[in-house]
Amino acid sequence: MSLLPAAGLVMILVGVASHYATRSLQGFSAFPAANVALGIALVLVGAAARARAFRGFSGAASRRVALRALAIFAAGAIAAIGLGVASRSWTARLDLTVDRLYTLSDQTRSLCAELDRSGAVAIELVFFEDALLAKDARLLVAAYGAACPRVSIRDASRSEPPAGARALYTTTATTVIACRGGVCDPVGYPSERNITAALLRLSSERSPRVFFLIGHGEVDLASESDGGYSGLAALLRDQGFDVRALVGPAAAEGPAGADVLIAAAPERDLLPEEIALLDRWLESGGRMLVLAEPGLRSNLYSDLLLRWGFDLEDGVIVDAAASPLLENPSPLNLLVHLFAPYHPVSRTLSRRTMVLMPTTRPVALARKPQPDDRLERIAFATERARVDHDLTRALAGRSPARSDAAIGEPAVAAAGSYPRGGTGAAGEASAAEARIVVIGDRDFASNRLIGALYNRDLLLNAARWLASDESRIALTDKAWTPNQDPLTLQQTVAYFYFLAFALPEALLLLGIYAWWRQRA
Amino acid sequence: MIGRVLALARKELRQLFASPIAYVVGTAYVALTGIYFFQHLVSYNQLLFVYQSEGLGGGGFDQGTVPSHINVLNEVFVPAADDFGLFLLVVLPLVTMRVFAEERASGTDELLLTSGLRPFEVALAKHAVTYLFVVLLLAASAIYPAVVVSRAALGFEHLIALYVGQLPCSSFTSSQIVAAVLGYSIPFVLLDFAWLSNAVSEPVARALGEIALLGHYGSFPRGVIELREVLYFASIAFLGWLASLTALELGRAR
Repeated sequence: MSLLPAAGLVMILVGVASHYATRSLQGFSAFPAANVALGIALVLVGAAARARAFRGFSGAASRRVALRALAIFAAGAIAAIGLGVASRSWTARLDLTVDRLYTLSDQTRSLCAELDRSGAVAIELVFFEDALLAKDARLLVAAYGAACPRVSIRDASRSEPPAGARALYTTTATTVIACRGGVCDPVGYPSERNITAALLRLSSERSPRVFFLIGHGEVDLASESDGGYSGLAALLRDQGFDVRALVGPAAAEGPAGADVLIAAAPERDLLPEEIALLDRWLESGGRMLVLAEPGLRSNLYSDLLLRWGFDLEDGVIVDAAASPLLENPSPLNLLVHLFAPYHPVSRTLSRRTMVLMPTTRPVALARKPQPDDRLERIAFATERARVDHDLTRALAGRSPARSDAAIGEPAVAAAGSYPRGGTGAAGEASAAEARIVVIGDRDFASNRLIGALYNRDLLLNAARWLASDESRIALTDKAWTPNQDPLTLQQTVAYFYFLAFALPEALLLLGIYAWWRQRA
Repeated sequence: MIGRVLALARKELRQLFASPIAYVVGTAYVALTGIYFFQHLVSYNQLLFVYQSEGLGGGGFDQGTVPSHINVLNEVFVPAADDFGLFLLVVLPLVTMRVFAEERASGTDELLLTSGLRPFEVALAKHAVTYLFVVLLLAASAIYPAVVVSRAALGFEHLIALYVGQLPCSSFTSSQIVAAVLGYSIPFVLLDFAWLSNAVSEPVARALGEIALLGHYGSFPRGVIELREVLYFASIAFLGWLASLTALELGRAR
């Protein structure tokens, strides 16, 4: 009779397997259903037959033993199930991934704490379990639920998502949608960077305004070419900034409404009144990011920046330590990995988080405008770098090895803060402090390179610091970069021979030996 | 007590490795995992080639054309680890089904129960030996995950998950075929209850989803050990051991 339940179990297995094999074609059809139903019936019949055939225990002592065994099993089962149910809400975990991919960074935790302190309306992360990337995202989304008291997780497969989220759900590529008070925002690829950016956008009461200076040969904000800045504009908007173009600071709207003004490598002089207006704006607590480039001669560099303590000598940094990892390992393509460790703009960057800068102008510090002002170099080339003042020669790759004296770790970026008495656009006390960041390269922020290495982080850190938003300094992008290196064909074939042939062969030979010994 | 358990475990271990079945199972597992691992590796290399191909917009390190989610972890390790779990479910019952059933078939179970060993010691020793066998099996096939095993907690959840129901099932019957069928059925049925979701109400489907193995497995290959998942598999293993013990006690009572 014990073959009956066995046959029943086989039928259940076949039913389940056939369901999985055909579910995409016809859902739960008659064949799997019949197999499962018949299988269960056979198991029950078999169990009933076994129960009827049971002759009972041989005496009171046997009954006691049996009852005790069953009682222990029941108690153990209840304890195990109880533990399982209780542990559902326990979030303790050990993240053993190299870059701690599923552990929230300090920046995200700080944002969560800020949301909690402010008592803002809770944000909901709607998670689509059926999405293509759901397996990747589940652990990360759960980490938000555990670490952020004001962020709740809603599994869309278990409870109906808000109407706004349902409207944004387009394809199975949609994995996470963030919603706050009926307003929903798609997250895109479900990484910590994107989820936190969505939280930032939804939690920001007011978007910091970033104006791009145009009209003097600056990089085109709307251009989608390799050298354009459409990617940078999109990145800033994605991070909750309100991005606009400003046609010359002397235009009617002026820079007064800007939280941050970006001058992306002007190639021509500004009008004297524009320089004067920018100067006054900075004196009143304005914030400015200047991207320079070797060979450009604008009075923005020679007049305005010099007055505020930055000396952009004309030349290009040549660094013999340029990485051979680059496709074009030219000494002009800098892999910047030396940063000031305590400055808010550079503290999240390190030797592991390099910035790629092709053809960079040195940014030196000049005299401070006032004694209380603070000027600091924040990113450097290596000590093997030097400055070649003959740009044509350097670009042609003909820089003689020791033509100019080595100057030791020339700076590629510097920052200044200038406490002033005025009040800023938003009226906060901190806005009275003027701030300037100067970076000696414009190409590192271009569409071609904004996604390379940690270029994005340097830019966002600068924008956040200038907008007095240090607590939201850009997240470090977590990526398991070492494992993108492909194995060579030889390594792959060696793996295959060893794993699929040599090892099984050895085990099989051992098995034959065991069989031979058993026979003998 | 420990001495008696160790003595029985040693005897079981000798018996296991004296029979060719352990080697056949090991061969099947290592060959299957090797072939599948190689397939994932080849697919990953092809994927990288496609992403880095000049014809697709120009590749290269500085352009970041390979998205960060295309890496060895996502493309080789996680899918391979998923396969390995299933392969263990396929090959292991061939070994575990005989642990108790063979004793019954050969009539040595009564000898064992009257030898002075308590039932829980017998269950403990037999479980320990079969878990050790799985450890050896994983070690034999661990060359490839060895690269990533320091980053991802591969393996031990398999050890526990795969024993769901297998030992207790084989202890309930004297037929090795039935033991094998039960040994296969319980873990496979427990693997995922999604097939039932259309036939039962939502709360029941949710409860079944909590029980299913598949939903608890995903974090381990990704390199995260969650306390609740560890407790889940530990509970299942404990229940398996308890069921074996109960079966032995009931057999003794009869």
